[in-house]
Amino acid sequence: MKKSVLAAMLAAAMTVGTMPATVFAEEAAKPYEGVTLTMWIGNTEYNAGTQAVMEKATEELGMEFSIEINPGGTEGDNIIKTRCASGDLPDISNYNSGSLLTALNPKEHFLDITDEAMTQKFDETFLSCVSQEDRVYGAPFTTTQGGAVVYWKPDYEELGLEVPTTWEQFVSNCQALKDAGKTPIYLSCGDTWTTQLVFLGDNYNVLAKNPSFAEDFTAGTAKFATDEGGLASWSKYADLVDFYNADASAAKYDDGLEAMATGQATHWFMLTQVIPLMIAAHPEAEENIGVFAIPGDDPENCGLTVWEPNAWYISKDSANKEAALAFLDFYFQEENLDLYVETIGANGPSCIKGYTLPESVAPAIRVDMQAYFDAGKTAPALEFITPVKGSTCEQITTSAALGQIDGATAAQMYDDDCKKSAVQQGLGWE
Amino acid sequence: MKSKSKKSNLYSFWFVVPSLAIFCIFFLYPIVTSLYYSMTVWNFDSATFCGLDNYKMFFSENSLSSSIVHTLIYAFLTSGLKVVIAFFIAIFLTSKIRTKGFIRSCVFFPNLVSTMAVGLTFCALMHPTKGLFNVVLQAIGFSPINFLGDINLALYSVIATDVWKGLSISVVIYIAGVQSIDKTYYEAASIDGASAWQQLKSITLPLVAPSQNSIIILSLIGGLRTFDLIWAMTGGGPGFATDVMASVIYKEYAYGFYGLSTAGNVIMLVLISCIAFPLQHFLMKREEAIQ
Repeated sequence: MKKSVLAAMLAAAMTVGTMPATVFAEEAAKPYEGVTLTMWIGNTEYNAGTQAVMEKATEELGMEFSIEINPGGTEGDNIIKTRCASGDLPDISNYNSGSLLTALNPKEHFLDITDEAMTQKFDETFLSCVSQEDRVYGAPFTTTQGGAVVYWKPDYEELGLEVPTTWEQFVSNCQALKDAGKTPIYLSCGDTWTTQLVFLGDNYNVLAKNPSFAEDFTAGTAKFATDEGGLASWSKYADLVDFYNADASAAKYDDGLEAMATGQATHWFMLTQVIPLMIAAHPEAEENIGVFAIPGDDPENCGLTVWEPNAWYISKDSANKEAALAFLDFYFQEENLDLYVETIGANGPSCIKGYTLPESVAPAIRVDMQAYFDAGKTAPALEFITPVKGSTCEQITTSAALGQIDGATAAQMYDDDCKKSAVQQGLGWE
Repeated sequence: MKSKSKKSNLYSFWFVVPSLAIFCIFFLYPIVTSLYYSMTVWNFDSATFCGLDNYKMFFSENSLSSSIVHTLIYAFLTSGLKVVIAFFIAIFLTSKIRTKGFIRSCVFFPNLVSTMAVGLTFCALMHPTKGLFNVVLQAIGFSPINFLGDINLALYSVIATDVWKGLSISVVIYIAGVQSIDKTYYEAASIDGASAWQQLKSITLPLVAPSQNSIIILSLIGGLRTFDLIWAMTGGGPGFATDVMASVIYKEYAYGFYGLSTAGNVIMLVLISCIAFPLQHFLMKREEAIQ
């Protein structure tokens, strides 16, 4: 009896032993082999970092990805709204958080991820930008970023300029740069959204003067044309008209990226998401690029306007919900966050609680931007604290930037524009 | 009564039902529902009735109302230029010249290229610093012109491109019209001693009226609903300088203002109808008068 049991065990052990061990390992570790997740994502977001994490997910979890590119801007908004309305969302979408998300009515279309383990890692500010009625629908795609002035440090060193803490100083720096034969400010009206940064990135200064501006604005009682800080924001464009590159009216975002990374212009009002892209295109620029917040009036209170990142959303009707959730869970493992940041860099401090950026991140982000966060001098951009954003904002800022309208007219136009948005969103403004 | 209807009902009423059904389902029903939705704040799920507010907004808000003006300028200017320039090109191309076939193909060539491609090409040609036009201008000693960046010039730059592209169709229609004119008129006129200019004015011009009318109507309606060229060249900018109705409607739709965008469509429908029907009527009258 004992002998036959032993024989059977040996026989079993031999059969198992002859099987390739890898088959077992793969079956256990690749639970989503054969699943293809459809993904809608912008060009900026579908970068080397995202691709690296996705490749690793395919290796370890087995799922494949089928990518559709979001053309961005108005057209991107149009596509996702149409797809929401027609029930044709991909498994995972990468889209804005904040007011643009609110406009999609996320609870109708996206999976509620409030109770997922990964959601506990996201910080409160981010959560407030992807929630509707206290339920969470999005997971942060990358780090936060600032709307600030990206500048070329060698020009500052050459002319002995100091990082400005007031708007006056900034304008006089620009004048000094112009006198020295440089292009003080890069403007890229070819991509109209880029012209908004002078205004949108100035929100810290608006809130510094009137802390309740956002609430009053949502309620329809505060207006840019009549608020001191709001009007000052719009008036900043007029001070800059003389300082642009020659092809300002036609230059594109990519032209600006190239010009700034090679020192052809000194300042660019831009989101700090551009910094990793600049460094990817011109690695030698890493030490030469700096960032400072758009200055206001008070040198003691100079702070940064912060954007929460785009987010991942899973379609409510997806057939591959589990695989999609598994991918996001994988995405927020610390080693994979590191993989992303080390591949492509970071746009700013992370919105994952307790996660610190690795040393490889550029000094513009790790030092310049972090200083504002450490000093507590940050404020969210307006689109994250009010659902109202004027739909033609980028057209108005383009007109203002090119000097076609003055600050007061622009502020008035934007107020009218916001009223239109508020009425169409059913906010009941008078 | 019965005998009368028998005569008029030579064919059964049921013959028209298929086409009537298609017309009602795909044309009449959408028009009627869009009239309703244009008076609501609509987000695809729910529609709140708001009366004529959307229309009021369209006419009162600067960025929207200016688009109506731009549309009219665009339509009348492109149509007018095409009618005049194409006429002279057609006269030239029907005269006794060599390489007629080659020049005719050259004139028709722009029409073979897609509007988007034309728009993007001209956008590059009109670039303020790197564009070919400005490189040439600077080479011969002029200061560069910001064709698409100057708020007062941008609309006219797009109009010029539209005329360049749209001329060919008008030329082809004109050529057909000119060639169908009986040669005996010219012979009789030249025997009577009429100069070439007199022949052109008193024979060719009146007798191409039917072709001319088609060109006027086609190019005017085409101009009123233009979208693709503007979108490719300026996207409605800088600011709102080249926003026409179709681009504004597209943008409002993209922002999710479906009610407002529908109101824009209704306004565009009314505008085109109000211009096209009386014009058609007037031109037909003129045509009949000549004949």
